[in-house]
Amino acid sequence: MKKLIPIFFALVIASCQQEEFSADLTVAFSIESAISDATYPIKVALPENYDSEGQKYATIYVLDGEDNFDFVAENCKKISHDLSTSNVLVVSIGYGNDRADDYTPSKAMEGGGGAEKFMQFIEHELIPKIESDFAVDTVRECRVILGHSFGGLLGAYAFTNHNNVFGNYIMLSPSIWYDNEIMLKLEQENRIANSKNHQLVYLGIGQLENEGRMLAPFEAFYQRLLNNYPDIALSHHLEPQLGHMGSRNPNTLKGLNFYFQNR
Amino acid sequence: MKLAKFLFIPYFLLKLSSLLAQGDFHANLQNDFPEQSFKIAPAIGLNPWPTADLVISNLVQWDIKRHLSLVSYSAFTYNSVFLRDFNHIKTNYNYSVSQKLGVGTSLFSKRASHTFSLLAGIKYNGFKETLENPDYENVPVSVSSLGPDYGCMYHLQVGKKKLFFSYRMYLPLYPYPMRRLDITAIDGNMANVSLEFGLGVRLN
Repeated sequence: MKKLIPIFFALVIASCQQEEFSADLTVAFSIESAISDATYPIKVALPENYDSEGQKYATIYVLDGEDNFDFVAENCKKISHDLSTSNVLVVSIGYGNDRADDYTPSKAMEGGGGAEKFMQFIEHELIPKIESDFAVDTVRECRVILGHSFGGLLGAYAFTNHNNVFGNYIMLSPSIWYDNEIMLKLEQENRIANSKNHQLVYLGIGQLENEGRMLAPFEAFYQRLLNNYPDIALSHHLEPQLGHMGSRNPNTLKGLNFYFQNR
Repeated sequence: MKLAKFLFIPYFLLKLSSLLAQGDFHANLQNDFPEQSFKIAPAIGLNPWPTADLVISNLVQWDIKRHLSLVSYSAFTYNSVFLRDFNHIKTNYNYSVSQKLGVGTSLFSKRASHTFSLLAGIKYNGFKETLENPDYENVPVSVSSLGPDYGCMYHLQVGKKKLFFSYRMYLPLYPYPMRRLDITAIDGNMANVSLEFGLGVRLN
């Protein structure tokens, strides 16, 4: 019995190991932002056989890059291979400021409301750098933003207030509850302008996110998109039996599949 | 390092219990506990993190041999006791019901026995919340789900008479692989440890 204990713990530790994306295909650098007064670590995952001369790639901007980059990059490679379609560049945005400041649209008890500055950083400092240094397509329809929780909230803010920057949104368990559901107000204010654009949106959440805040605002946001945006490719999914963190990776996979199949 | 820190907690508790049990273990002490017994132990407790769920449970333990027990564990959980009306989001109901069966083995000390069990069964979650913000439309959402539930339980029984004090700790292993070891993570395995106290009765 005693011999089994280390084996059990080894199995647990092995099951928690993160899959790491190939270092050979990763370019890392940092950007000092004058807009948000912070330095952001950036990583870019290149497709295999990256062709900087003859091809233009789409880009997926991944929030909470420290946690999500490897999983997204690895699975973009797998999905594009399975679907025999061109892969994308995955851009990881690491932490410069606290995520509760950078990802929140207004000042409230849970966050500092720095989303506007952070989006300005993405739009005016990060995207121009990526688009000048790498072979990427510069049209809105070829840019994706992917975020979970407060990252999903920033994705929703990008949708409502900077809709010309991204054409594709993968929002995972977005914190629409934030500041008395302020995202619903912002959606309403910007609806007329945004509904003219083509959108691709994946909204995913865990079925067991029952902490009294997640599901009803998520559903309200989904219904707004469903009923008011005629030119939208929209998917909505509740990941069964999983909660806020457990649903993140399964929903990321479904969101990426939805994007690759409908872009 | 973070992983090691969180694994250390259950390992420490289990190790401490077994050391305590083995420390004053004597063959004749075992005889103070009946070879076979049938016990019922209702209890109340908490899933302390992160939103405090109230647990009402009942454990039935049939010790068929000194070191072999069959265990049945039933629980009703009133979820998120302190978070039922937040940012105009009203929780209409939020509860779980689970039933698990399993096997366990016991160690004995002077006045207590320590049972370690592996349990598996089902868990039903019923949940409804409504967005009732006066600035927006009302949106209700309900979830009704039945899924697996398995994990390990430590059961401390103090007292050798008909009535005994019961403390138990259940560590869910579902979903596996572990999603998060951080004890403050909302749906991490470590965050859903339940701690329960009650009074048990030996029926034979």
